[in-house]
Amino acid sequence: MKPLNANEPPHEHIVRLEDVSKIYQQGKIQVRAVDNLSLDIDTGDFCALCGPSGSGKTTVLNLIGGLDVPTQGKVFLENQDLGDLNGAEIARIRRDRIGFVFQAYNLIPVMTAYENAEFVLKLQGRPERECRDRVMAILTEVGLAGLEHRRPDEMSGGQQQRVAIARAIVTQPAVVLADEPTANVDSATADSLLDLMQRLNREDGVTFLFSSHDQRVMDRARRLIRLRDGRLGSDEVRP
Amino acid sequence: MNILSFAIRNVKRNWHRTLVTTSAMGFAGMIMILYASLMEGLFQASERNAVAMDLGDIQIHAHGYRRDPDLYTRIADANHLVQSLQQAGLHATQRLYGFGLAAAGSSSAGVQLRGIDLKNETTVTQIHRHLMQGRWLDRSDPHGVVVGRKLARTLNVKVGDEVVIVSQATDGSMANDLYRVRGILKSVGEEIDRAGFFMIAPAFRELMVLPEGAHEITIMRPERSASLEAATTAVKTLAPRYEVMSWRELRPLIAAILGLADTHILFALLVTYVAVAMVVLNAMLMSVFERIHEFGVMKAIGFGPGQLTLLVYTETLIQVAAASVLALLGGLPLSGFFERHGIDLSAFVSSVSFAGIALDPVWQAYVTRRSVVMPIVALFVIAGIAVIYPAVKAAVIRPVKAIYYR
Ligand SMILES: Nc1ncnc2c1ncn2[C@@H]1O[C@H](COP(=O)(O)OP(=O)(O)O)[C@@H](O)[C@H]1O
Ligand SMILES: [Mg+2]
Repeated sequence: MKPLNANEPPHEHIVRLEDVSKIYQQGKIQVRAVDNLSLDIDTGDFCALCGPSGSGKTTVLNLIGGLDVPTQGKVFLENQDLGDLNGAEIARIRRDRIGFVFQAYNLIPVMTAYENAEFVLKLQGRPERECRDRVMAILTEVGLAGLEHRRPDEMSGGQQQRVAIARAIVTQPAVVLADEPTANVDSATADSLLDLMQRLNREDGVTFLFSSHDQRVMDRARRLIRLRDGRLGSDEVRP
Repeated sequence: MNILSFAIRNVKRNWHRTLVTTSAMGFAGMIMILYASLMEGLFQASERNAVAMDLGDIQIHAHGYRRDPDLYTRIADANHLVQSLQQAGLHATQRLYGFGLAAAGSSSAGVQLRGIDLKNETTVTQIHRHLMQGRWLDRSDPHGVVVGRKLARTLNVKVGDEVVIVSQATDGSMANDLYRVRGILKSVGEEIDRAGFFMIAPAFRELMVLPEGAHEITIMRPERSASLEAATTAVKTLAPRYEVMSWRELRPLIAAILGLADTHILFALLVTYVAVAMVVLNAMLMSVFERIHEFGVMKAIGFGPGQLTLLVYTETLIQVAAASVLALLGGLPLSGFFERHGIDLSAFVSSVSFAGIALDPVWQAYVTRRSVVMPIVALFVIAGIAVIYPAVKAAVIRPVKAIYYR
């Protein structure tokens, strides 16, 4: 990895997209999932990526998360051009600097809530004691104290997403990318998950970028980025 | 959580499939342990019969005797040589050979006359215990003889019947005498079965007018102590003027066939384990495919391709290890049973032979380290090969595809 320039201001933009396009070849037709998109996400943002189904939300999150590569343009994470990195380096950035929350089935079925939350810390090779302290603190913070030993199939969908959020933030990543994290839960559960993310953002300064096509979710976002056919529709910050 | 306990949980997850896979591997392993033990038994019995009934470990002849077995080509100082071999800690016996015509009633046959040193022969070979009927030679019965199995049939003689031998003695005179059959041998080998005519050495010397020397000295290592090569070298220094050869050199074909035991068992293992490989491949491929999404998420959050390969391998090896335990628990007692009791083939066949060596019709297994270790090691190797494809499949999963894979 390229060393970061010490004189640069420390990541005022955690994420930057520069003229990014992603074109999928589907048989004979080309699908422009993302079309010439430029975008900045700042430290401490609580940002919703909105748009109808097929507007390119998942693709944008995958590009930022290094799970996919753009056809054109550049993706920067903490001023690092992901296009300059090889597969192993990107995998390391995903592990250490990004938290992922997917729509559903985030957890490893044979592991308990505790073990799922601990998983990435273990991959990072953190000492046992540090793992325990941090996992217990985070599980308490996301409201799962006492459920450490439950396996995913012994928890509700909302509880599972809380474990996923705990796993995403336990490594103190630069940004948490959440692709429709509330799409598979009922609205009350969705509300409480948003409460949780909002609190983590306000109190602990966790940067969130989450996608949704649910109006109530959008209403909770401090910053709202609208996508339309892979292009930037609007970008508004609310007080 | 470490890879091992992670893998154990994954293996327990679909316990039904694990049970089927593991018991299939375990059963194959068990059968192969039995098979390998039976083959070991067959090869051991062949070697034992080849060596212990007649050939011995090492033989000494006068130069030229083996090419042209002439009555006059003898080891002159045979008595002395046998003594010094015995002093060197080896079992040794001298033998006399001649050819003659045997007649009994209206039947006749060419025979190989064999003069036996009664005392020493029993230390070298087991042929005195290998009788089908009657009894072995005895010093007090100089005209009592023991004959090969097929020879007895050809001459149409039973124990107690008389046989006339006609030959030519060393002094050129006509040698002939009347003998009585004391015993008939079990099957030993083609040569002895067809023409073996055993008598005590003094009787042979009298018949053939051959007061001293011997045609052959046969040697056996006590309890297979030193290596055959080392013992052969030692004998060579004791008998520098004679031709000294180990049984492997004397019967290169038999030695080569018995040396193929490994290859033979390995080949059978490969053929049988192809089925095992299919079972493993199928089971692990299924288990990888149904976890595509899960593996995708794991990779997205930092689980590496190498770790995923290791996980799939560990899951497989756990099942092979469990299967090995099953194979041992089943295969050892089963092979042990056939080692003690054997499979009696006499009801099905009249004579059993392998590589030209006559065998006892009761086929016994022989459990050796090789007959146990080879099937187990092969099980691991085959499963390890079969799981390469599923493991690689897991390693190359692209999270972006896998996570949205439905
Ligand atoms: N792997 C793919 N192959 C082909 N087309 C794709 C692929 N992934 C997404 N697309 C297309 O790209 C567009 C954007 O998809 P996506 O990013 O999933 O949108 P959203 O998450 O907003 O629903 C859609 O038209 C979709 O069909
Ligand atoms: Mg989507």
